[in-house]
Amino acid sequence: MARMKFLCDAERCIECNGCVTACKNENEVPWGVNRRRVVTMNDGLPGEKSLSVACMHCSDAPCMAVCPVDCFYKTSEGVVLHDKDLCIGCGYCFYACPFGAPQFPQDGAFGLRGKMDKCTFCAGGPEPDFSQAEFKKYGRNRLAEGKLPACAEQCSTKALLGGDADVVADIYRQRVLTRGKGSEIWGWGTAYGRPDKPAAKPGAKS
Amino acid sequence: MLEHRDMRAVVRLFLVAVLALFAQFTWAQDAGSQKEQVQRQQTQPLNNAPVWRDVRGGENPYQTTQARGIETNVLVQTEGEIWRQIRNGPVTVYGGWLITIVAVLIALYYGLKGPIKLHAQPTGRVIERFTPWERIIHWATAISFVILAVSGIVILFGRYVLLPVFGYTLFSWLAVISKNLHNFVGPVFAVCTVLMFVTFVKNNIWRAHDWIWVKRLGGMFGKREHVPSGKFNAGEKMWFWFGVTLLGIIVSITGFILDFPNFAQGRVAMQQANVIHAVAAILFMAAFLGHLYMGTVGVEGAYESMRNGTVDETWAREHHEYWYKQVTGGRAQPAGATPSAAPASPMREGWKT
Ligand code: HEM
Ligand code: SF4
Ligand code: SF4
Repeated sequence: MARMKFLCDAERCIECNGCVTACKNENEVPWGVNRRRVVTMNDGLPGEKSLSVACMHCSDAPCMAVCPVDCFYKTSEGVVLHDKDLCIGCGYCFYACPFGAPQFPQDGAFGLRGKMDKCTFCAGGPEPDFSQAEFKKYGRNRLAEGKLPACAEQCSTKALLGGDADVVADIYRQRVLTRGKGSEIWGWGTAYGRPDKPAAKPGAKS
Repeated sequence: MLEHRDMRAVVRLFLVAVLALFAQFTWAQDAGSQKEQVQRQQTQPLNNAPVWRDVRGGENPYQTTQARGIETNVLVQTEGEIWRQIRNGPVTVYGGWLITIVAVLIALYYGLKGPIKLHAQPTGRVIERFTPWERIIHWATAISFVILAVSGIVILFGRYVLLPVFGYTLFSWLAVISKNLHNFVGPVFAVCTVLMFVTFVKNNIWRAHDWIWVKRLGGMFGKREHVPSGKFNAGEKMWFWFGVTLLGIIVSITGFILDFPNFAQGRVAMQQANVIHAVAAILFMAAFLGHLYMGTVGVEGAYESMRNGTVDETWAREHHEYWYKQVTGGRAQPAGATPSAAPASPMREGWKT
């Protein structure tokens, strides 16, 4: 099975926020939740660069490790998913995540945050594929439809790549060779630097 | 369990992590690198190294995003991994063992030495030890403490201890209840802690004779010789100062930081608060086990004193001699005095008074 990864090419990203919009539209995420965001460095200065960031589906995911109810699981494609029925909204995954991926519909007093929501690599959740419950809680299950993530698919400059890690890396290598610069693959060291934790337990589906 | 090498690594990691967590302020200097990048673009147009250095930290004022929320302009925060290592590592492992070992030691002590009983017969005459107000405050604090301790344990250790037993769905229910109980009872406990301090501080001032108690370890070991003390002995005073007061304040302040994410604290603040909160809470629970033991099965008559507010004169003389002399105004009886005819009934007054 392919190992799914995201790669964002800072030489190409033009900060159009198309990925952000595509994600919101495809998955009908709750108000105030940003599964994906675009960050611009040196905004307005020479050498400005932008990057699109969401859950990177880490090999040894910190969110998974700290969750008090152990509600995360990993598919055989390396996608990190979670079970909203188990989530207690403690916020620990947000404290642990390097990329700021976990999102909460509220941030109320007394720690009332609601259920955590994050990028699913457009792979839905533990409910049966294409079920109404799955869509309501996690959004579209594009992987089960044989499609790649909406954000990466619609990226106009193809800065954001999402899919089989080997293919993604090959495309990127080719680009670097051709243009002779911009070889930094952002975020991969942090996300994939450590050995993969085995695909996980509860309700894990392939 | 952990091998020796792992253990050393964990300890080293812990030190580095604590340093890193508390030294983050120095990273603010990164903001200088965007100037560097501007110059670099003129001399070496394709070199983006300073940009990539900026990515961590997000201190650069020119690092922006359109997404609203907490620290959304930060691309990578490295402290989260450190927090994970500390919390899932030493805090959970050593904390869990500390509580377990203290509980086992207390059980062993009870098994080997048994409870501390009265030597002389009860006189049947009772003295007031705690006013109704003092008892209300004590029990409000105690009940909220136990709720917090149990629910906190579910959040910290439940995944390893309870989840395998209950399964995912049931344990999640338990965790939701625990989390909400913890988050709502926490502030109640914080208020109780303040009232507790105000109410009990006058009898907890350290006196010279308390050193005698410390030197003889309260007469709890060996032949269990008699050690005189005031209204509270040195052990109780230490519980008051280090437990109720110091740990109570630490746990309350860090608890409030964790409990109100609506003030948009950054992630580092939450991580630091969580580690301090969990460490203080574990020490608090370990110390509390001792207090719980002495206040219930460990000392005959101790529980009744807080339940009913009164103690028998014999109990007062044998456990708090100076206080006894003070309240009875020298009406001290020789040890082993003839017991009075009326049998002692400490339950007589009932808890309501
Ligand atoms: C005796 C008192 C207390 C004990 C024994 C205690 C214990 C604990 C423990 C063990 C945890 C879990 C830490 C972890 O999972 O890493 C925790 C978390 C927490 N505690 Fe406490 N705590 C106490 C008092 C308080 C107080 C006074 C407050 C608030 C004012 C508070 C608020 C919190 C919050 C908000 C969390 C985070 C859990 C969540 O968000 O669900 N605690 N506490
Ligand atoms: S917020 Fe939910 S998913 Fe995140 S750590 Fe807490 S229980 Fe787990
Ligand atoms: S993969 Fe899907 S869920 Fe994740 S950011 Fe892209 S569109 Fe959103």
